[in-house]
Amino acid sequence: MSIAVNVINLSKKFYLYQDRAQTLKERIIFWNRQKTEEFWALRDINLTVPKGATIGLIGRNGSGKSTLLKIISRILYPTAGEVRINGRVSTLLELGAGFHPDFTGRENIFLNASILGLSRKETERYLNEIIEFAELAEFIDHPVRNYSSGMYVRLGFSVAVHVDPDILLVDEVMAVGDLAFQKKCLEKINEFRRKGKTIIFVTHDMSLVQRICDYVAWLENGELKADGKAHEVVNKYLDLVATREEERMLRERQRGELQAETTAWKELGEGKKEPEKPPSEGGFFEGKAARWGNRQVEITMVKMLNQQGEECYSFECGQPVTIIMQYVMHKEVSDLVFGIGIFRDDNIHCYGSNTDIDRCQIEGYPPSGVVECQIQNLHLLEGRYFLDVAAHTKEGIPYDYWTKCLEFTVFSRIKDVGIARLEHRWVVQVN
Amino acid sequence: MWQQIKEIYAYREMLKNLVAKELRARYKGSVLGFLWTFFNPLLVLVVYSVVFSFVMRVQLEHYSMFLFVGLLPWNYLATSAQMGVASIVAGGGLVKKTYFPREILPLSIVLANLVNYLLSLFILLPALLIVQIPLTIALLAFPVVLVAQTLLVTGLTLLLAAANVYFRDLEHITGVVMMAWFFFTPILYPLEMVPPELKGLFLFNPVVPVIKAYQDIFFYGQFPDWASLGSFAGGAMIFLVLSLTVFNRLQRNFAEVI
Repeated sequence: MSIAVNVINLSKKFYLYQDRAQTLKERIIFWNRQKTEEFWALRDINLTVPKGATIGLIGRNGSGKSTLLKIISRILYPTAGEVRINGRVSTLLELGAGFHPDFTGRENIFLNASILGLSRKETERYLNEIIEFAELAEFIDHPVRNYSSGMYVRLGFSVAVHVDPDILLVDEVMAVGDLAFQKKCLEKINEFRRKGKTIIFVTHDMSLVQRICDYVAWLENGELKADGKAHEVVNKYLDLVATREEERMLRERQRGELQAETTAWKELGEGKKEPEKPPSEGGFFEGKAARWGNRQVEITMVKMLNQQGEECYSFECGQPVTIIMQYVMHKEVSDLVFGIGIFRDDNIHCYGSNTDIDRCQIEGYPPSGVVECQIQNLHLLEGRYFLDVAAHTKEGIPYDYWTKCLEFTVFSRIKDVGIARLEHRWVVQVN
Repeated sequence: MWQQIKEIYAYREMLKNLVAKELRARYKGSVLGFLWTFFNPLLVLVVYSVVFSFVMRVQLEHYSMFLFVGLLPWNYLATSAQMGVASIVAGGGLVKKTYFPREILPLSIVLANLVNYLLSLFILLPALLIVQIPLTIALLAFPVVLVAQTLLVTGLTLLLAAANVYFRDLEHITGVVMMAWFFFTPILYPLEMVPPELKGLFLFNPVVPVIKAYQDIFFYGQFPDWASLGSFAGGAMIFLVLSLTVFNRLQRNFAEVI
């Protein structure tokens, strides 16, 4: 396995000036007032990124993620240690840095591409693709001064991804543009992955991390807290965030203002197990149960029942099924959502929902009890499936998240294909 | 050092684009646009000719041409230094957000001014012919003088630009120093006019041989003094190497200090 980026004992120290003297006069007058504080943004980081891997950097604000990315991209210089890089690096730190407002979009493409290290010939080769990707064909010969901020960013992104790097560094830029463009950006990133490029990216979107990263490195206060397979590290991280969140809520409750204004937590279950690669490549999905959460609410038992109310794990397509979850609250919580997810054995997320998505008005859960999810017709096609169950907050912070807790099979007499059977009939009419 | 130069060469496309941007952005939005590159020196020349032929009469024959010959290369140096000193701080947005050899920023200023200087020759040469100052074979020495001067301009601009990141007063100091330097350089007056007791002072002025060489090849139609030009070029080369080394050392913290 060849290595794309090797970070060795990397440390970075910043000096924080309380009020940095910029001029001679200030320096002379305030020569003894220079207060400098040392601040270690990164401490002794070791990280190896294999070629072709997609690695996510996660951590709270100020944990050093962006500093690390900037050192890898050679914008900042390390205080100690070194970074070894194998291949051409392109950085998506800030889009459109280096645009000149008076120049046209076309002129700026050439300017920007050259800043990213592309020759004129290469730029010419990609020119049409860049313009098309940015969806700016009409405006490309207008000065970018007249562009909307969205157009600006689209052009910047478009140039940056066409630089054709071996290693792409992305810092939190996915949040730009409208939804359609975001989707395009993701497709582009996936295309990079298919081509075997190395991607390192910083984001706070955990569902995105789980969807596209092979590995995750978690930074906390400038130190590498954990790194490894994406789901393992993300789960650990979410556990910690959940604990902290709970502590914060508790403090707020004590202050008498129970205004749960949480950070933008994405629905945890959403798209969680979508495979980006065939399952043979990702050891991560191979049928192993995993469980995490702070267990303030614990799911003690999960069962599946057939029409007759008997425990059963083999169903015929179209039969009714009931999923039973027995739970205990170890602590009184008011914000509680139960959810299920069904995955086929090739990790296709077939269905998922929860009491919040379904807008179930449940007034106060008893401290212990049973939640039933009654499925009238299980219209899944023949195959092997896994069941995920979870108890979590509305924002998706898990109390108890249990993936692949049960396995069941569906059989069918009709050999239709796909994932689910859609109720249908065929009609022929005379014209 | 070699690595540094290779890296700059790898980013030559960016350098080219920045030079073009510098040249075009300067007059962007004005009606005459790029033509100003020619109008500027032309108008300066007209003003000088009127003032020094009709108002303040100078004994020296073709004085306004003499002045013009020295002023154009001086402007190349002075404008490079004054625009270059702020180049890295002004390009802070880029420096903080992308990697590229930081030398590119001051170098683009130097090259843009070099191009401007070369374009102003399209005014200078016809003007010389009009006032009947003969153009001679000595013009062949021009590229040599130009290269020697460019070594100095580059070294100076790189050094100023890097130091200015840490010490912002330099921007203002440069303006004043350049003005003083101008008056202590034989541009407004021929070197021969300097009183003998002050001549020693001029030995320490590094640009004297260059300005003198330009006056020789354009105004007097003779080859420059190769000995003094050669020692100037040697000194300028050493200075440039030094500047590049200092720059390389200082550039490590650019992104955090800006």
